[in-house]
Amino acid sequence: MPTSPSEFSGREAAPSSAPAAIPEAVLLRRARAGEEAAFEALVRAHQDRAYLTALRLTGNRQDAQDSVQEAFLQAWRSLPRFRGDSSFSTWLTRIVINRCLNLSRSARALPAELDDGVMGQEPGADDLAVGAQRQDAVREAVLGLPFDQRAALVLHTFAGHTHAEVGHILGISETAAKVRVHRARRALFAGLQEWR
Amino acid sequence: MTGADRYGHWAARLPCGRAVDDLMAQVTDGGAPVEGEHQRRCAHCTAAMAELEALWQPVRALAAERVRAPSEVLQGVMARVRELMEPGWYAVVSEPEGKTRIAARVLGAYARLAAEEVSGVTLAIGGGRTGESTSAAEIAGDPGEAASNVGVAGAHVVVDVDVVVQMGVSISAVGREVQERIADRIAAYTGLTTHQVRVTVVDVVRGHTEGPVAEDGAAGQA
Repeated sequence: MPTSPSEFSGREAAPSSAPAAIPEAVLLRRARAGEEAAFEALVRAHQDRAYLTALRLTGNRQDAQDSVQEAFLQAWRSLPRFRGDSSFSTWLTRIVINRCLNLSRSARALPAELDDGVMGQEPGADDLAVGAQRQDAVREAVLGLPFDQRAALVLHTFAGHTHAEVGHILGISETAAKVRVHRARRALFAGLQEWR
Repeated sequence: MTGADRYGHWAARLPCGRAVDDLMAQVTDGGAPVEGEHQRRCAHCTAAMAELEALWQPVRALAAERVRAPSEVLQGVMARVRELMEPGWYAVVSEPEGKTRIAARVLGAYARLAAEEVSGVTLAIGGGRTGESTSAAEIAGDPGEAASNVGVAGAHVVVDVDVVVQMGVSISAVGREVQERIADRIAAYTGLTTHQVRVTVVDVVRGHTEGPVAEDGAAGQA
């Protein structure tokens, strides 16, 4: 039993019909204070989208995993300085993209290695194989885009961010984000036309 | 005529005058055609739309693919985080045979699990840090301050736990039970003395109805 009067409060309580979850603001406050479990909850909540973004940007599972792990560690180290001007998701995604950009720059001299696809796996029915080949063609066409267009396309088309969010993450206006996504899609259409 | 040449380069406009960009946006965003009547009757538009749809289909399929981070991501991140955490966040249990150090995060885990045992609590979170002081106030700080989590100093523990409760429960009763349960569990499992438990209700959710379920699936009534 507590040896002194224990405190009890409901100051952050708010009725909610959403699935039970500790509010992100609480997790951030606790993680900033060095609480491992709170940061783990943040990693669990954001790792899938971060990994998807990195995977589509790099086309390589190991690179994506490394980028996301490093991004989370950078976030952990920088949390005390995180002021909350943007959401944790936006901030983290920005770090992931910078990691992938650095990787892209350092690997520019090396031949692109695509291991995100299903080519080389046990072949199934012909139509499935053709479908898989087409998706591999998409992955390659995405990787062939300039990085700024690729980032905008991946965030909007694959990770499901709005144009406004894409702009916020990339540090550009919503209009500029729309233009970038459109240019990327146009280039993708051209790339896929060549593949056919 | 599809609007693209044999090198995959799309012209800005189809022979009918429609902007190819408009058709691309229609395919990628799923919007309604700007010139619907023209598009339905125009052979150029119809052919271009069919081509663009076929090209975009695998993109759509790839976008719909569910991607989950491999388990190594979470494991790797948290292993490194533990390495990076400052040393010395331990409670100490002294026994004749020697001393046992218990990391504050372990106490945080006990506190969370104990809180979640209480009926009406759906989720709890609390973690750990410690200091040299034996004063609970100095270790844990004021509620809501960054330093208030699980404080440990020597054999004394201060727990600051956030909980989500089910709507309709008595918050004060649940709060008291959480305090008692945490103190009991920490004493039973670690031998440490819980000096203070602070409970903050951070959310309220609609809880499930407990009780016997009749054979037709309806919840039983008392």
